[in-house]
Amino acid sequence: MSPHRVSAITKRLLQGFRRDRRTLALLFVAPIVILGLLGYLMRGSATAPTVGIANQDSGPLGAAVAGALHHSSLINATDISAADGDGKLKDGSIAAYIVFPPAFSLDAQAGNVAPQIHLEGSQPGQNAPVLQALQAALGSVAARAPGGLRFNPSVHYLYGGQNLDTLDYFGAAFVGVVVFFLVFVVTIVSFLNERSQGTLERLMASPLRRGEIVLGYMLGFTVLALVQSAEVLVFSLAVLKVHNQGNVLLIFGMEALMAVAAVNLGIFLSMFARSEFQAVQFIPLVVVPQLLLSGILFPVTTEPRPLQWLSDVLPLTYAVNGMRDIMIKSADLTWPSLELDAGVVALFCVLLIGAGTATLRRRIA
Amino acid sequence: MSDSYAVDVQDVHRRFGPITALDGVTLRVRQGEIYGLLGPNGAGKTTLIRTIVGLVAPDSGTVTVLGRRMPDLDVLRGVGYMTQQAALYPGLSVEENVQFFAAINGIDGEAGVRDALELVRLYDRRKSVVSTLSGGMRQRCSLACALVHKPKLLLLDEPTVGVDPQLRVQFWEDFRKMAAAGTTIVVSSHVMDEAERCQRLGLIQYGRLLSEGTPAEIRERGGSQNLEEAFLALAGQPS
Repeated sequence: MSPHRVSAITKRLLQGFRRDRRTLALLFVAPIVILGLLGYLMRGSATAPTVGIANQDSGPLGAAVAGALHHSSLINATDISAADGDGKLKDGSIAAYIVFPPAFSLDAQAGNVAPQIHLEGSQPGQNAPVLQALQAALGSVAARAPGGLRFNPSVHYLYGGQNLDTLDYFGAAFVGVVVFFLVFVVTIVSFLNERSQGTLERLMASPLRRGEIVLGYMLGFTVLALVQSAEVLVFSLAVLKVHNQGNVLLIFGMEALMAVAAVNLGIFLSMFARSEFQAVQFIPLVVVPQLLLSGILFPVTTEPRPLQWLSDVLPLTYAVNGMRDIMIKSADLTWPSLELDAGVVALFCVLLIGAGTATLRRRIA
Repeated sequence: MSDSYAVDVQDVHRRFGPITALDGVTLRVRQGEIYGLLGPNGAGKTTLIRTIVGLVAPDSGTVTVLGRRMPDLDVLRGVGYMTQQAALYPGLSVEENVQFFAAINGIDGEAGVRDALELVRLYDRRKSVVSTLSGGMRQRCSLACALVHKPKLLLLDEPTVGVDPQLRVQFWEDFRKMAAAGTTIVVSSHVMDEAERCQRLGLIQYGRLLSEGTPAEIRERGGSQNLEEAFLALAGQPS
């Protein structure tokens, strides 16, 4: 073992990195970006869910609890009428609403505290603060009342329900996201091979038009992606039994749209990498922040405001939202929100096809 | 007129950042001749060939190929281009590679593919996957891909690099046969004995055409019976 030879290897390695700015960025910038984003998402998520309060109680208790809820820091309470509740849940302006029925005070005197809680239900993470806030508010009121109270709320879910577990919630998004990222990685690596093995140069010196190359690639990978999408879907529904209320064909259509977007993203980004290694470096720099911001793990509505703006321009956000709407809320194409989601993803595909074709021209000619 | 020329390059300049790759090149290649581009590494041979095929846009000057101003996608149907590196799909068989390049040039049918593979003597190995082939076989497959659509103009960028002497002789026999059949061939090289086999030569250095003519003319101009010495004399470098 010669220290001289060992140090020669070490030195050579560090010398190489000095000129490899991209790898240095990966090593020293990516962790800060990813951890910073995570920290901001988790700590900065101060946006409390908006909860509607409908107080129909003829007695004093409803007003007292409603007052306590208005002061709760866990939720952002707003007074509504019970009849508007479901509509507001659907359009997303509130995450839940609580009704104190006309006999609320009377029932409470009999020892039975029975508020009605209506939850949106498609986002399990948002249920907890609502229940916590209500419990705290009741607790503060109950402390002043003589003992023997039974807390007996009736809980209604607009979508999903109590049986909706974490996998059901994440599964809906991941069905699409898994396809998106695998297709992206395969495309970028394969298009890079076309460059590095010199065949792209040959294609460029043939009568092939740039658009024909991009379109041919897109169709080829789309075939693979569709088979993969079908496989993922069947596995998720039949084996994992992920909750699904929606039209399977619609889910497949959304998956296919995401796959086409991934193919074109891969072609486009391959213009900015010179080796497969560099292509793989795009994953932590480009892909991970998208994953964090797409609403898969943290609902976009609870993100800090500036991150919400960022989420709103990322196509994956719309894709994830669309998949969830279909699978959990059984949305169909008559829903404006799903039309928007599908439209944004489709527009993204078109933009990327154009961008891919344009960059192909710039890099070769 | 330029119709009698397969390639007509007029005063082409091209810079890549601080490096001048082509510094006012003018040359004409007649139909049906084998034209050799001769020069050391980095002289601008590859850039010139890429300019002729339309992959590099000149900063100034014009390139006319088969009577059409480049870049022109349609004229590429009549052009075959073999890159320095054997640019093939390693996961496909020999036959599949040649079929692919036939198809993108608008040629269907087996006959053309078979002709090309027989010309480079790879017909027996047509089912072999390219990644399993030797370097020389890959070069031959690459040549087959460049000529499968029977181009009128064949551009070969150092086709014999890494090819053993025996195969090199075969390559040049093939080139002569194709030229005899009317194909114009532009071939770059830095090997002098190959230069002897060309009908005309262009000597390139520092992105400029130093001299042009038949091998005999070049020898005479350089004042030597040896092409290599003549070249060095013309390049103004002591050996």
